Amino acid sequence: MSGIHKGDPILEVRGLTVDVQGRRILDGLDLTVRAGEVHAIMGPNGAGKSTLSQVLAGRPDYEVKAGSVRYRGEDLLALPAEERARRGLFLGFQYPVEIPGVNNVYLLKAALNARRRQRGESEVDAFEFLALVRDKMKLMQMDESFLSRGVNEGFSGGEKKRNEILQMSVLEPTLAILDETDSGLDIDALKVVAQGVNSLRRDDRAIVLVTHYQRLLDYIVPDQVHVLAGGRILKSGDRSLALELERRGYDWVREGGAAA
Amino acid sequence: MSASPRPSDPLERLRPLLAELPGGGAWRSQREQLWNRLLAAGLPTTRDEPWKYANLRLLARRDLAPAAPRPITPEALAAAPDAAAGGATRLIFVDGRYQAGLAQRLAPPSSLQLSTFAAVVEAGEPDPGTPLAGDPDLVDERLRAWNGAFAVDGPVIRVPARATPPAVHVVHLATGGGAYPRTRIALEPGAQLELVETHLTLGAAEATVVAATEVEVGAGAELTHTVLQVLGERAVLLEDLAVEVGAGGHYRHRLAALGGQFARLDLRVRLAAAGAAVELAGLLFADGQREQHVRTLVTHAAPRTSSDQLYRGVGAGRGRGSYDGKVVVGVGAAGTESRQSSRHLLIGREAAFDSRPQLEINADDVKCSHGATTGTLDPQMLFYLLSRGIDAETARALLTYAFLGEVLRRFSVEPVRRAAEQRVLGRLPSAELLREFVA
Repeated sequence: MSGIHKGDPILEVRGLTVDVQGRRILDGLDLTVRAGEVHAIMGPNGAGKSTLSQVLAGRPDYEVKAGSVRYRGEDLLALPAEERARRGLFLGFQYPVEIPGVNNVYLLKAALNARRRQRGESEVDAFEFLALVRDKMKLMQMDESFLSRGVNEGFSGGEKKRNEILQMSVLEPTLAILDETDSGLDIDALKVVAQGVNSLRRDDRAIVLVTHYQRLLDYIVPDQVHVLAGGRILKSGDRSLALELERRGYDWVREGGAAA
Repeated sequence: MSASPRPSDPLERLRPLLAELPGGGAWRSQREQLWNRLLAAGLPTTRDEPWKYANLRLLARRDLAPAAPRPITPEALAAAPDAAAGGATRLIFVDGRYQAGLAQRLAPPSSLQLSTFAAVVEAGEPDPGTPLAGDPDLVDERLRAWNGAFAVDGPVIRVPARATPPAVHVVHLATGGGAYPRTRIALEPGAQLELVETHLTLGAAEATVVAATEVEVGAGAELTHTVLQVLGERAVLLEDLAVEVGAGGHYRHRLAALGGQFARLDLRVRLAAAGAAVELAGLLFADGQREQHVRTLVTHAAPRTSSDQLYRGVGAGRGRGSYDGKVVVGVGAAGTESRQSSRHLLIGREAAFDSRPQLEINADDVKCSHGATTGTLDPQMLFYLLSRGIDAETARALLTYAFLGEVLRRFSVEPVRRAAEQRVLGRLPSAELLREFVA
């Protein structure tokens, strides 16, 4: 559909340095993610994981001090948040905000239409759209009432996360960044969310999982694992790195730091 | 530098007109009494506590003389929502005077008694109501005195006991100059009524409407009173609405204050007997250089009475507004429940909204709460919408609209709710895109 082939570079982050309210949070971060890959970014609390997610999605109040980010070869940082979304970047929020009065499904439809317009496609047919959403809701084991409610309004923590994955599956992003999608989920909900993510793995799509715990990676097996601490990637490896981290703790990486 | 005009000057210009108004002995002496009272107090200024947020200086140069009767075509009323569905009775008042030729359903059903103040005066009958609310220590009654001195007409509506007539829609059209409509609504015990009022201006007329309304809700009666204020850019509306609710009675007021240059509603509700209840909800939309003010006074004078207030204001451009709401729980009003919520959203850098909820409790065993905030759009909500591909302008408009949704959802009269929604949408950027979200 997209002219993207497995192995094409989707995201190339070089020396990314970001301040939040005057404090340095990311400090020369490098990361390359290719089509067809699932990457996990792990790290202790305060390492800068959420900042990385939000900066990539275009949060306006975070200040990029240095470095570059290329998304499919384009300068990502030059694009406003809405334009990034329309070009296929999706952020699954750690804390999806409740927006009473804005209907969940209308927002999703507007989001899909914004993406389609960017690609020069016509707006989605209302009936086809509803059928598509119903189909995806079944996969995410979501109740029909989600159709009529406000965005995340009164949703439980698990429902909010499922709603994020529902949006992702309808929007079919090229790059999905899922920020702590596993936090606050019980094991059943975690399995549903993981199944949703796995169903979206494709050769022309890249997925970045940001997580504190290894647990999620039992269900979504990543191609690469990175350890983020002190604002940069200290160590990268395959899935065994996540298991080793769980055994030895984050201090092990921080002490070994630059040697990795 | 020349001295600024004294705020009471407009009254001097009105004085000679008083003698020309209709009505014999009792009416004339009542007018003079009210006029003297107003003259003694002068027009309110911001130094008067109840008027600290609302500056009436703009009246100084206005023509406040009651407008001369003027023929009106039905097209002038096109902006009024068609609330006539289900056989509603529609009454038209132009500059405060009844227009028989424009009414729908001239012969009301037997469950509804309709008259006008003009008819009462002409018949030489006594005043069916009381122009003043009779609480001079607590409230500012100058608007009522002003209206009472100059009112020559206005609807007089009575619903007999246990009757449930079809809805009544009163359309007020202001064509320029002064208008002094006086309205009286009485529901006898067990009666029910849905009353809709629309305030309109003919084109961009410079009109000043000083309105007074008395409402009596009898024991077990239920009145839903919905007001759509869509006056033109140069209109001023000053309204005083006094409501008394009897045992187990229920009064609902819904306000969509969307138009005018300056509008203020003084709404006082007295919960006079056990079990009386009131629900007030309003949206105040102050864009451009518009001002929208609401002042409420709810008195719990009997046990087990309840009040619920929900006001949402939006300040855009250089708009201003205020909510100044007081709840008084009287001695002996045990078991009272009261909620007050006023929140205001500022989307214009030069806009301002004041909010002052007050509570005075003189009884035990009461449940009272109030909350008030004034703020800007939530940056997290905004970012969430941006991250889903919604452009910034649409996202801001959408959140503004959603903010008002809480009030709009309480409008039970469908055509009025839709008219209010469309008006709000029309005032926000990206109106076409927004319609997708609210379809």
